[in-house]
Amino acid sequence: MTSLIAFLIGFPILVGAVLLLVTRASLRNPIVLVSSVAVAAASVATVVTFGNGDGVFFGLPGGIVPGQALIAVEIAMTAFIVVIGLMNRRIAAPIMAVAQLAIALFLEVTGRMPDADPQRLFWFDRLSMVMVLVIGLIGTLICVNAIGYMHDYHRSNPMIKGRRNVFFSLLFIFLAGMFGLVTCNYLPMMLVFWEITTLCSFLLIGYTRTPETIGYAFKALNMNLLGGLGFGLAIALLADQHLGLDLARLTASPASGTLLAAVALLAFAGITKSAQMPFSSWLIGAMYAPSPTSALLHSSTMVKAGVFLLLRLSPAMSGSTVGYLVTFVGLGTFLFVSLVAVTEQNTKKVLAYSTIGSLGLIGACAGIGTPELAWVGVMIIIFHALAKGLLFLVVGTIENRLYTKDIENFDTLLSRLPKVSVLALTGIAGMFIAPFGIVVAKWAAIRAFLQVPGGQGAAMIVIMAFGSSLTIFYWGKLLIKVLSMRSVGEYERSIERRVSRYEWLTEGALAFGVIAVTACIGIISDRVVGPYALSAFPTAGSHTFLNIEPAMLVVMLVAVLFLPLLAVWASTRKYDASDFYSSGRNANASHVMGAALGGSKSVTLRNYYLDGVVNGALMFRVGTLACGGILVAMIAVGMVVR
Amino acid sequence: MSPAVYGVLFVFLAPVFGGLLAGVDRRVSARMQGRIGPPLLQPFYDFGKLIQKQARQVNPVVEPLLLGHVFFMAVTGALLLSGTDLIFIAFVFALAALFLVLAAGSVNSPYSFAGAERELIVLLASEPFFILMMAGICKVTGASTYAGVLASPQLVAVQLPGVLLAFLLVATIKLRKSPFDISTSHHPHQELVSGLTTDMSGRMLAYVELAHWYESALLCAFMVLLFNWSVPLGLVVFAIAYALEVLVDNSTSRAKWQLVLRSTWAATLIFSGGNVLALFLLSR
Repeated sequence: MTSLIAFLIGFPILVGAVLLLVTRASLRNPIVLVSSVAVAAASVATVVTFGNGDGVFFGLPGGIVPGQALIAVEIAMTAFIVVIGLMNRRIAAPIMAVAQLAIALFLEVTGRMPDADPQRLFWFDRLSMVMVLVIGLIGTLICVNAIGYMHDYHRSNPMIKGRRNVFFSLLFIFLAGMFGLVTCNYLPMMLVFWEITTLCSFLLIGYTRTPETIGYAFKALNMNLLGGLGFGLAIALLADQHLGLDLARLTASPASGTLLAAVALLAFAGITKSAQMPFSSWLIGAMYAPSPTSALLHSSTMVKAGVFLLLRLSPAMSGSTVGYLVTFVGLGTFLFVSLVAVTEQNTKKVLAYSTIGSLGLIGACAGIGTPELAWVGVMIIIFHALAKGLLFLVVGTIENRLYTKDIENFDTLLSRLPKVSVLALTGIAGMFIAPFGIVVAKWAAIRAFLQVPGGQGAAMIVIMAFGSSLTIFYWGKLLIKVLSMRSVGEYERSIERRVSRYEWLTEGALAFGVIAVTACIGIISDRVVGPYALSAFPTAGSHTFLNIEPAMLVVMLVAVLFLPLLAVWASTRKYDASDFYSSGRNANASHVMGAALGGSKSVTLRNYYLDGVVNGALMFRVGTLACGGILVAMIAVGMVVR
Repeated sequence: MSPAVYGVLFVFLAPVFGGLLAGVDRRVSARMQGRIGPPLLQPFYDFGKLIQKQARQVNPVVEPLLLGHVFFMAVTGALLLSGTDLIFIAFVFALAALFLVLAAGSVNSPYSFAGAERELIVLLASEPFFILMMAGICKVTGASTYAGVLASPQLVAVQLPGVLLAFLLVATIKLRKSPFDISTSHHPHQELVSGLTTDMSGRMLAYVELAHWYESALLCAFMVLLFNWSVPLGLVVFAIAYALEVLVDNSTSRAKWQLVLRSTWAATLIFSGGNVLALFLLSR
């Protein structure tokens, strides 16, 4: 077990270092492929070795405590941020990085930093298991996909200087940081991994080095460093009050007093990293990076680290005002980003808002702190990682073929890129088609909110009702566009043949994963997620989670397979372009109408964006303000009221 | 009888109920307009004629999507009566409605597309209500299934007056009645170019009708949930509500989509949301 975790963390760093030196694609691609397979295999091996037991704790071989090494890494990272910040004339990030380092050094020098228990550095339980699989399988698929994507990306964007060695190096270091983060039990060590992921995402977002992306990269860095500062303060608070820095012990039961204050600060860090409002803008900015970056940040890493921490804190937040406020930050985020998403025309941004909404839901579940909601939170992590990873990669593929991210330009996709459409439809079905995945989670969440007493419970249900309905609208618009058909010429038919085999392989694997997880939802619930929820809340007694009857399972599978299978079938049929009704003004060709004053015009159809009813920019500001207010209240309650 | 039997019965009997309702609707509407109206069984005759006719296929996905629409409408009812969780039902109901949107949208023609978008808007307008209604019913009765609610000693409607009020409004959307029939411009108006069914003909149109019959039966089943003391009571209330809808249908003109969305959301938030809030506050 120890050696496997050491491999999961150490090996990707090694690969990252090697890839940095390899500039030839012919050499790099096999390394990426083989290393990805190795990491994926190791993550599966870790889970198999772990077996069915409850949480286990372990340390490094020989009882080594990483005290000095952690400080050394922190100094290196801070120095890097200071240098790169000053080079770009940004001052906020260096200040926050230095402040965080100062806290760590102060604790270390004054001897306040409690010694780590050498046998409890790592904590591996079912939640870590889920996360390791998500990172190890989905994360590596994204790395492999990037081989094909980045090749096309640089060909279609010749202005951007190719630094693919840096790009792939960062992807692997990112994975290492994530593996460390989700298996860590000693908080200062977790913070180091936390900052590694912050730094990697900063560099990945700024990969193209245009003024625009550099701006977004620093926005991401600033917000995440602010969260890291909260994390550092929480450690300082815990150390100062001699509460220990053992995550499992700290979060074993509902917190109070100083511990609750520290939990509030850690939850703040989790909220920044999972891009919930008021910190959503950094993840939206991350959309301007190459698609594998978006896929990685959104599905298996980065934001999932934020909600992972929130779920870890869930038992400690249970029943407290801090917990309720975390829930309302999450639900507010879900509602407001859904409102923004219905007005958004850029597909990647719609996906981004949908991600933030799902993260908000997970955060909302974690805040209340019951086994049912912990169950829901982990279920959303699994489904979302698969479906959203797939969708981002597919949109990346489409972007490289059609040179557009605009939903309106996705029309007749089924005729133009039939196989890609099948993948896209699987992803969309996985994300939202009732009754599957996230919808099962929403259903379970409403069930659980019914048990929350008082006005909070009612508010939660009302927000869920409106938020869920809004998701139907933006996914529905995308589906209409993808499912429409027209006759295509020989040239258009040839476009799809240029999609690389790396993309087919990885996107196909993810699509298969979406369907497999739906089919196995009962087993996943009974064997993994259910036991996790019960072990996280030992006082809750026995619980039966969602009762998924066989009839419902069949309906779910039909629902999730319906559109992809329909697309497979329809794309093999000959399309005879039978003209539609247009008041008797059809001209000869399909989709051309006779114009009022003679001549002809081709038909353009544009989706509704609820202009005049929902103002997206306003909703984003209102949500940021509202959730920001709740967040301030949460920290105040944690600090003052306790 | 086991609940599963009720589910199967719904699949077979709901179209009969929905078709008869449509027949009565047409007669009553005709009388309101000073006409005699068609025979009671006219919807079935129409259905029989349509299903035999050759359908014009604009593209290969429309027909499967419409079949999906019918399938999921029937499944929603079957699951509801056979004891599936009520909140889950609200989500499946939305899925069933979505298939009609997809069928019309996939045609990619100006009229169908506008109809599909409008249907999507009314789906967005009505869905929050159904989730809230189901949550309210579960909260009042403590039950989570159809049979459980019917067995509850509480009369649900008494505790959910706001939800009942909002239901009347939202039912206008689901029954495709004016002023909320923005996606279809439907029934007694008999317009030639009618929203999202513009490019559907022959048996395609028959599927749309069939699904709508299921949908009407589902709304009736929802009404029975609110008047859970006895099924006949629920049916009587549904009949009265339906008569009201027909009256409103014949006395109002179609609203713009902005008004439909705003008014439905406002009603859902104020009446249903307020009702659910009161329920939570009082049950402390």
